[in-house]
Amino acid sequence: MNSPTAQTLPERGWASEKIFLGMPFWEYLRSLATPGNFVAGLIMAIGVPVIAYRFIFGLGAVTNLSQTNPWGIWIGFDMLCGVALAAGGYSLATAVYVFGLKEYHPVVRPAVLTGFLGYLFAVLGLAADLGRPWNLPVPIFYSFGGPSVMFEIAWCVVLYLTVLGMEFLPPVFEWLGWPKARMWALRMTIGLTVFGVMLSTLHQSSLGGLFLMAPTKLHPLWYSPFIPAYFFISSIAAGLSMVIVESALSHRAFQNRVDHDVNIDKLALGLARGASIVLFAYFFIKVQGVVDGGRWSLLNTGYGYWFLVEVLGFILLPSMLFAYGARNHHVTLVRWTAAWSVLGVIVNRLNVSVIAMNWNVPDRYVPSWMEVMVSITLVTIGISTFRWIVNRMPVLKELPEYHESQAN
Amino acid sequence: MNLNRRMFFKVAGAAGAVALSPAKTASAGADDGALTSGAGAAEGALNAGRRGVLVDATKCIGCRACEAACSEINALPSPAMLDDPAVFATPRTMDTRTYTVVNRAVTASGTAPARFVKRQCMHCLEPACASACLARALDKTPTGPVVYHKSRCLGCRYCMVACPFNVPQYEYESPLPYVRKCTFCADRQATGLDPACTSVCPTGALTFGNREELLDMARERVYAKDSAYVRHIYGEHQVGGTSWMYITDVPFEKLGLPTELGTYAYSSLTQASLAAVPFVLTLWPPLLMGIYSFSKRRNDIEAHGPDRQEEAHHE
Amino acid sequence: MIPHDILTLYSAKMLEYGIAVLFLLLFVPFWTYVQGPSRVPALATARVRQPAAAAAEWFLIPVDRAFHRGHAWLKASTDGLVTVGMDDFAARLVGPLSRVSLPAVGTAVGQGEMAWRLVASDGRVVDMLSPVDGTVVELNAALASAPEAAETDPYEQGWLMKVRPSRLRANRMSLLSGQAARRWMDETIAGLRGHFAPGLGALAQDGGVPLSGMARAIDPDHWDRLAARFLLTGGEDAHA
Repeated sequence: MNSPTAQTLPERGWASEKIFLGMPFWEYLRSLATPGNFVAGLIMAIGVPVIAYRFIFGLGAVTNLSQTNPWGIWIGFDMLCGVALAAGGYSLATAVYVFGLKEYHPVVRPAVLTGFLGYLFAVLGLAADLGRPWNLPVPIFYSFGGPSVMFEIAWCVVLYLTVLGMEFLPPVFEWLGWPKARMWALRMTIGLTVFGVMLSTLHQSSLGGLFLMAPTKLHPLWYSPFIPAYFFISSIAAGLSMVIVESALSHRAFQNRVDHDVNIDKLALGLARGASIVLFAYFFIKVQGVVDGGRWSLLNTGYGYWFLVEVLGFILLPSMLFAYGARNHHVTLVRWTAAWSVLGVIVNRLNVSVIAMNWNVPDRYVPSWMEVMVSITLVTIGISTFRWIVNRMPVLKELPEYHESQAN
Repeated sequence: MNLNRRMFFKVAGAAGAVALSPAKTASAGADDGALTSGAGAAEGALNAGRRGVLVDATKCIGCRACEAACSEINALPSPAMLDDPAVFATPRTMDTRTYTVVNRAVTASGTAPARFVKRQCMHCLEPACASACLARALDKTPTGPVVYHKSRCLGCRYCMVACPFNVPQYEYESPLPYVRKCTFCADRQATGLDPACTSVCPTGALTFGNREELLDMARERVYAKDSAYVRHIYGEHQVGGTSWMYITDVPFEKLGLPTELGTYAYSSLTQASLAAVPFVLTLWPPLLMGIYSFSKRRNDIEAHGPDRQEEAHHE
Repeated sequence: MIPHDILTLYSAKMLEYGIAVLFLLLFVPFWTYVQGPSRVPALATARVRQPAAAAAEWFLIPVDRAFHRGHAWLKASTDGLVTVGMDDFAARLVGPLSRVSLPAVGTAVGQGEMAWRLVASDGRVVDMLSPVDGTVVELNAALASAPEAAETDPYEQGWLMKVRPSRLRANRMSLLSGQAARRWMDETIAGLRGHFAPGLGALAQDGGVPLSGMARAIDPDHWDRLAARFLLTGGEDAHA
């Protein structure tokens, strides 16, 4: 029953211990002067004014959106990719709590955190993109567009952010040192997990469902009544790949916060096995979609080649590489494949939203540097928040007094 | 009814004049009451209330009185180059300050006359934009107009993605932006008036009235023996039917109307995926909890032995 | 959407079914390939139970021993003898010892009969039962000078005596090992938990290792009777 922070000086105050990593305030500030923080600061120094400029002068002043291209990379990348890559949260939570694969417990917390931050920043990216973001409460409380897929997404995302936030409460309470609150929070885990899986199934697939409304605008190789299924299945692969990448980077970057007893390589191989199976199935359903739509002949066009690049290079290839790497215990290969697979999901989401969308229209969309800057800024803020939390809360490692009796 | 309308329009205004006469039309909606032939009672009641406009492209002379009337009624800037036929050199599109445009579809050559086409919101019977709108800012009214409740709009611009005609225009230049499009003069219709554009058309190219009756009128013209019209009424079935319908004697592609649209309503495209939502909400919990129980039992057996039924002590 | 001409629909459907069948045929070999030829048996965390050697959280139950319900163990050796001792639970239950009073060499012992006496540091005594029938052939001499070995290392250094068993196979029927021993230990702990005072209870939830001399902590005045009950030497047939 001792205080967990044996490494801090006992006479420091709460703020110093909890917020400033145990250092006095000025020393903490000095410790922030690292190259990484400098880059992040530079990005934010440019990006935050751009965001302010967008809100003062409107979307037209900052983006290259037009009447024919109403959605750009803030939807295509920030929203769609952010949500897809945050899918590690529900995938790992299901693996650990529903399927009972307790050996993955060391990575479930970082995955839930990544999920929470991913969704939070997807929503912030959306807030930047919406023309009137202050009306966000309208479809939640006042006026319900029931037939709209967007309505279902809005509700699901609001509920899911709540679920993810609550799933992350145990580490927060451990950080604050409130064991009773923590026990209460832990009891909700299985319920939250099931609820979260349901919500994720719905909105991951619905984000694809949005594009069902654009049969004449989206290139036929990407347009399919199965887009919702494609988005959902690829989100599982995206989540598993992101967890592999994120755990590899975290273990490198947060050496002093990591539980060195945990064999992260073994977990990466296990996740790679899962990802390879999912990608294998995903490849086949993409092929089925092409056949079902009668679109073989389109493969022999410019967009057709690009479709083949996406399907063969970014789905089939990582599936095979994951399989090879997992079977032969080749952790480095698995990690690079995971990064490639993450890129592949980004490519797919950008294809559906921006590249293959309005493919036959002369007025094509190319993002402006300011749009790109805002996206980079939001990602940077997300990574910084992740670092802030990991450096203080028991995410990568469990606190010793909670380890034996951990239910999750 | 048709003859009355024809007479009225001939008297009412000339090119360039903004004659907004408040006269009631005979087909002021529901008090017609007559069931259309062959329709069921409910369908008939629906049809009785539905208003539409028939655009007969063979009659349009490109005077753009409709554009002028629209801009006056909606407090928009005057249309560009109102008296200058050179405006037709390049096709114009609708924008945030132009709810309707008249473009030249075919240039006059020899004996073949020019053809013009008016474009605006089609006020579809099952609008993609309204079914896409998460806040019901775009909403279909039973009589026809698809109206915009600007206070509800979040600016997500999904309506713009959904509309197959690319009608909604967005005020990107404003920090407080709205969606802008033709309103079918819904407020005028509510007081029994005709839409501004149809009320000033001097040639009868625009006919406002009950949609079923307009369809009858259109069929008469199009399917008449030796008619010069293309044998199709655009908007009768496109995307589930639109309020604004077009007939013409030149191919519809020339008018710039998208011809690859099917007859299914766009709202039906997402209904299958949305219908799955209650199924997921119902089936996922038992499925997942079943797997959970199974895996928990397997873990318990592994930890405590096969006969041990008690839960692990930290549950 | 590109509508299907009904004639091409036939070939399209056959192709779809064909692809699905192809997938199913490929799936099984792919799954097998991905899972790999041998499973690396390690688990991800270092703090994993080794199969039978770990406690039901708290007490060691080594794999190579058989346990008697009176919390004594025996381990067979190749020379036909068995080594006998008390288990981890008994050691912690009773706590610090001043000496262990063992039977003399040559004494006959019977399974389930009182065999030796533990004398605790405060003078109270608790008896224990022998796990086996046979004759005592050797005693652990180290215990005379260092009785604490029996408490701190009950399975190795703290072995009590060696016995030549007379009916080992029959005796084994009454002994527990492996899974059964772990289950029995669970039950014992459940019984013990019922006695915990609130303060001790919190310790248990933290997963900390229980105190040495648990019986004394639970019931300082009558701990020997409590311990005897657990070690199956309490009641009317207890010694004086």
